[in-house]
Amino acid sequence: MNAFVKYLLLAEGFAVTTYGLGWWSVPIVAAMWSFFSKDAHRVRDAAIAAAAGWASLLLLDIWRGPVSTMADQLGALMGLPPFLLYLLTLLFPAVLAWCAGVIARRPVRSPVASAHSASS
Amino acid sequence: MIVRGIAAFILAALLYAGFRPVGPVPPLGPLLDPANGAWAGAAATTFRGVQSLSIPGLSKPVRVVFDDRGVPHIFAETELDAYRALGFVGARDRLFQMEAQTRAASGRLSEWAGPRVLVADKEARSLGLAWAAERKLAAYDTTSFGYRALVAYAGGVNSWISSMRPRDLPIEYRLLNARPITWEPLHSLFFLSRMSMTLGLNDATMKRLRAQSLVGVAAADALFPLNSPIQEPIQPNGLSGPRYDFSELPPPSTGDKSVATALRLQEKLLTTLARGGRTDGGDALGSNNWAVSPARSATGHALLAGDPHLELSLPSVWYEMHIVVPGKLDVAGVGFPGMPGVVIGFNRDVAWTFTNTGSDVSDYYAEAVDDSISPTRYLLDGSYRQLTKRIEEYRDAGGSVIATDTIYYTHRGPMQKVDDSWVSMRWTVYEPSREPDNFLALSATKSVDQWLDAMRSYVVPTQNGLVADRDGNIAIRSSGMYPVRPGDGRGDVIRDGSKSASDWTGQLPVERYPFARNPAQGFIASANQQPVDPAQNSAYMGSDWYSPWRGMRIASLLRSNPRVTPDDMREFQTDPGSARADAFVPLFLAAAAREDSASRGNNTLREAARLLAEWDRRYVKENRRAALFEAAMVELGRLTWDELAFPADTAGTPSFRLPESQVLLKLSQFGESVWWDNRKTPARENRDAIFAASLVSAHANLLKNKGPASSDGWLWSNTRHANIHHLLRIPAFSTLRVPVQGGPSTLNPSGGSGTSGASWRMVVELGPEIRAWGVYPGGQSGAPASGRYRDRLPRWALGQLDPILFPRKPEDLDRKRVISTLTLSPRSQ
Repeated sequence: MNAFVKYLLLAEGFAVTTYGLGWWSVPIVAAMWSFFSKDAHRVRDAAIAAAAGWASLLLLDIWRGPVSTMADQLGALMGLPPFLLYLLTLLFPAVLAWCAGVIARRPVRSPVASAHSASS
Repeated sequence: MIVRGIAAFILAALLYAGFRPVGPVPPLGPLLDPANGAWAGAAATTFRGVQSLSIPGLSKPVRVVFDDRGVPHIFAETELDAYRALGFVGARDRLFQMEAQTRAASGRLSEWAGPRVLVADKEARSLGLAWAAERKLAAYDTTSFGYRALVAYAGGVNSWISSMRPRDLPIEYRLLNARPITWEPLHSLFFLSRMSMTLGLNDATMKRLRAQSLVGVAAADALFPLNSPIQEPIQPNGLSGPRYDFSELPPPSTGDKSVATALRLQEKLLTTLARGGRTDGGDALGSNNWAVSPARSATGHALLAGDPHLELSLPSVWYEMHIVVPGKLDVAGVGFPGMPGVVIGFNRDVAWTFTNTGSDVSDYYAEAVDDSISPTRYLLDGSYRQLTKRIEEYRDAGGSVIATDTIYYTHRGPMQKVDDSWVSMRWTVYEPSREPDNFLALSATKSVDQWLDAMRSYVVPTQNGLVADRDGNIAIRSSGMYPVRPGDGRGDVIRDGSKSASDWTGQLPVERYPFARNPAQGFIASANQQPVDPAQNSAYMGSDWYSPWRGMRIASLLRSNPRVTPDDMREFQTDPGSARADAFVPLFLAAAAREDSASRGNNTLREAARLLAEWDRRYVKENRRAALFEAAMVELGRLTWDELAFPADTAGTPSFRLPESQVLLKLSQFGESVWWDNRKTPARENRDAIFAASLVSAHANLLKNKGPASSDGWLWSNTRHANIHHLLRIPAFSTLRVPVQGGPSTLNPSGGSGTSGASWRMVVELGPEIRAWGVYPGGQSGAPASGRYRDRLPRWALGQLDPILFPRKPEDLDRKRVISTLTLSPRSQ
């Protein structure tokens, strides 16, 4: 499968499960992806896709309502510049996904080792 | 393995921070989640387009059309359906505020915020606010319309709560990590109890007793008189101007030490109670209303204006609405979020508004109990009676009990312990009254007389209810329960609780309430002043009346304008003129001139007087002289009333409310009164010396603190502001330092803290078709990120009003002004 499409699907997977289940679905999706995928960069991919998935949701919010006002207010409340809140919103799922991915990943065997194992 | 360990640790930490609050930081997961969290919540504050929903309890579909000011126009086929829909849309806009208010009244804020708000919770419960609301609810006939309206409203609120998506949860709940409670009719009554505390606790006992202990009974009675020395009453007294009673004040005498015990009791009680009452001085706060008859109106129709002043908050204390039930109801105006119906507003025939009367409707009784530590009984007429005991448990957010109180109740009300003594309180708030019924009934009245009838049974807080109708009638009545006390009838003493003869003997009949209907002067006005001239009605109704300055100013404006327009009414609401400044500025200038001509002046005095003389006595934002006058008035009070300072008071400045400025004006008629003498100096000062010294001192203070007289530091806009705090006092959700026109004792009074002001301004013209305008400092939405959270503030600050849309049917609304439509249909349960 085209890598870009794979990314896109994974990111949308994060977005859809977040929408339907909640934020806590991020590490679950990431763990499943990491467990079943054979891609060497599956943990990194999960982290990036989680951030991308949330970014798409965030863009939707920005399109639909006064998110910047909320960012200003929450930023003032927490003593943080608003952009840091956006950044936090993207980092939070990324780190969740990375951690879950690391924990769930299985060792990937090289093709040679696989063939040797099959012949014996 | 190490990487996995680190990842597991970080994941655990993030999951913890995602689910649980860490210190002041709320759970991050629900906050940052862009699908269901705060960001999505921001998006959810914007309602557009057409929506449909079915909710339980409706009998017929209800159509709600929101105009471009965010006002819901509710079109229903039954009144109960309308109030159910109001509960739904009101909760959609103001759910957090509704719950916050009800928690404040019932003493349950600590369940949100823990021990740091325990003091406020204990105050609310020791005052019996929740107990009072429960009594009111228990007394309700459950088949009555009022009760069913409360139930329908609660049903609507709960329908919204149950239909909320996670993203709809207001941001405050996220920050508190809380969930909305299920709404009950009792919660609406909690709010009314709270409002009654704010408006219905007017007791002058403490300041009078303090003065009595220092300067004796006669002087104390003169400094804090039952009757204002300037009478411009609400009920016209037939005069064409104020009536002055400027007799000389008796000199201070030896303090009356016998009141020390009573004073101690009062201090403890009233320090607590003052939080709910007036603390900012009589010249700083206050509501206004007035109406003119067709004969004095430029359009030939009755006009009515009202601007109730309350503590300002975001979201606003008011929620604007329009409710149509064909053949039964067509009413617009503002009501309280958390309560069904319009409180101040108009229908097709009648318009009405209120100011607070401020009558004395509470009393204290020194009780004799069987055990001063853990009483079980109290003495009444020689025999003991059982106390009612109520255990109050205070819980934190986790549900753990963090404190417990035992509140004892006599037949009068809750008791409080002060030292070894017990004092009970009786208060009209504790009466099993049904104010929601009164407010709901007003909406359907068709004439002034019907409106007055609907208010006959109204109890608390006492309100100057002003009403006008399309037939050109105008009327006002100070409605509410006025207790009749035994003996001299005064309510500013602590009575002997061991005798039932100390109890209230009844209440004033409605016919004796302050009242006016179509008076010859062609207008009616009220501004919290003493409602009736004691020369006409001497019944004790209270003593802690607001100063008459605003009443005088309104009367002056209306008397001088025989053809009032609605726009005049609007301008009057922020009129910068001041009867108080008109009275005192000449006194300062004359005193300075006399001191100068007697060779007791100096350059500083001359300069201060020159600057004050430049002032046109208007508190406009760009003025630089009002600040000098206000500073001089503060100094004048401090220097004049040095006799009222307790030894412990800092720098000899009295630490409690001084006599009102009208008493000071009265004293000013007597230049050599001993009250002018400053006891800390060897010389014997007279009036002119104190006035001059006040002006000089004020000038020096301003130069020191604000710079030269030409600097912006002296600008009125840099002196007084409106400070409108969010309910949780979160600065980012608040709007602070809003420049406003007006000062102490003007029609748009601004207190030192800036936290009070016109909570709603309304002007109504009662012509063949009603025309109305209104504004409040905030917006319809309670969501801080919403564009409608404070969209009305700029116009409010400028004294402008918005035309209020009043369509008879949905199709009458200009489509360009409709932002969304919500159809609620019945759902089978």
